Amino acid sequence: MTDAGARVDAHAVGRRAIVPALVVALYLVVPLAFAGNLHLMSLVVASLTIGGIALAWALLGNLGGLVSFGHAAFFGVGSYASALLVMKAGWPIAAAIVAGGASAALAAVLVLPALRLRGPYFALAVLAYAHIFRIVATEWKSLTNGAGGIGSIPRFPVVLGYDFSGKTGAYWIVLSLVLAFAIVYRRVRYSDYGLALSAMHDSEEATRAVGVNSVLLKAAMLFLSAFMTGVMGAFNAHYIGFLEPDYAFSGLWTMLPIVAAIFGGYRTIAGPLFGAVVVYLVDQLVFKAVMPIGHQIVLGALLGAMILWSPEGLLPALANRLPRAGARPSRDA
Amino acid sequence: MLELVGIDVHFGGIKALDSVSLAVGTSEIVGLVGPNGAGKTTLFNVLSGTVRPRRGTMRFDGADLGAVPPYARARRGLGRTFQIPQPMHTLTVAGNLQVAQRFGGGGVDRRAQAEILELVGLAGKADRDAATGLSLTELKALEVAKALATRPRMLLLDEVLAGLEVQGKRQFTQLLAQIHARYGLAILIIEHDIETIRSLCPRVAVLDFGRLIADGTPAEVFSNPAVVASYTGVPADA
Repeated sequence: MTDAGARVDAHAVGRRAIVPALVVALYLVVPLAFAGNLHLMSLVVASLTIGGIALAWALLGNLGGLVSFGHAAFFGVGSYASALLVMKAGWPIAAAIVAGGASAALAAVLVLPALRLRGPYFALAVLAYAHIFRIVATEWKSLTNGAGGIGSIPRFPVVLGYDFSGKTGAYWIVLSLVLAFAIVYRRVRYSDYGLALSAMHDSEEATRAVGVNSVLLKAAMLFLSAFMTGVMGAFNAHYIGFLEPDYAFSGLWTMLPIVAAIFGGYRTIAGPLFGAVVVYLVDQLVFKAVMPIGHQIVLGALLGAMILWSPEGLLPALANRLPRAGARPSRDA
Repeated sequence: MLELVGIDVHFGGIKALDSVSLAVGTSEIVGLVGPNGAGKTTLFNVLSGTVRPRRGTMRFDGADLGAVPPYARARRGLGRTFQIPQPMHTLTVAGNLQVAQRFGGGGVDRRAQAEILELVGLAGKADRDAATGLSLTELKALEVAKALATRPRMLLLDEVLAGLEVQGKRQFTQLLAQIHARYGLAILIIEHDIETIRSLCPRVAVLDFGRLIADGTPAEVFSNPAVVASYTGVPADA
């Protein structure tokens, strides 16, 4: 074996060992280290919630080639669907969370006509669509209690003697959800469907000419992205225990994930999660402490600087600057 | 195998195809010629489903193609290449064939992939980047390879020799004859090089201003006064 080959193999082995170690650290070390600091744990849970949406948004952009400004709609539909199924139909929370994701995917059916649009036209169509759901949630008072919102949404239950309604329990749940999403994203990306999707971006006519149903694949990515976002909304509803339309369908559930995904590197799988944790925690722990009012200005400036410095995002920039032991720069992190 | 009857295509006020009727039999090679703007590529776009005719019917293997979307036409065995090569830029050469096999050809078959690459002269280039790693001749070969990977029963080749040098044209013509002999495909080929058409096609159809003005053997067609007039611009009765 050549030296270069040995270095690449060693790198691959090292990388395979790092991932399980990182997962164990995330599950055990973070709660052990920070469980006593409820404020910090709540920020971590919020950052992972945003990270889950950012991952779903990046999946749609990276694989489906669609830029959405309307993920708040999927988040809101998922949160209301899950809360109402538990409170009005007596569903168990776990099943209701999955149903929340399914409801968001069902809501995405209404976006299908917009799939024929490209670039900013699609983005604006979905932005308008998101507002429709907020209005429906506000006006359909018999179901949602309108602007008054829904309180006392059941929290996560006790399972095997452990109460998941606390910060650490919620952390484990949201961490499990985002890791599951990342695994699904990775499997899709490296499947034949992922190959066809990546080829469709700049060669849609060429892919159709070899039998690829591009509309169906894009729709599948839209449904998957909406499902993931709906699940995050459902999780959040049972985590915070309260919903009202302006909160559940807030534009922040669209903008923060976009910022996180672009900051971290939306073409990678880990980038949106990494970006969400970094952006949200730095904003809340550092910028907000220094500048309680208007701290988002610093965040905006930071994002602008990041785009100028590394349009691919922070994670690819870091990966390219670390010694890679002979391996070429990767966009697959 | 392929039957077009009375195909009309309009782009605004321009009649791109005017009541075109054409049939291609199983394993037949037909050359489609005509001056620039005659409607040849439009006819291919109609066949592959990217342009909808205003009037007329299309049947492939006895089934009506009218409402069949482009991707499904490829799956039914109608493979096409583009005048300007359109590789799937983000993929390698092998990746291009893998997508074509998986979605258009019913499943990935590595052995068939290797055979196709060997046949078109891309053996050893499977890992090349399709966007930057190939010459024009190789891109043209990849176009044909992608179409073959969908297991077509008919190939629509749109100026696949355009831009090649004399030697390259000769080699590519031999390749097309080999493909025809090996797979027994029907081929409809658009080409400006009359010598290539004469050597490859026992039958030639001629379009001019959207109308089919001749259909026959190369000898018949190229001595037809209407065809001569369409190329020279001099009316047949002048």
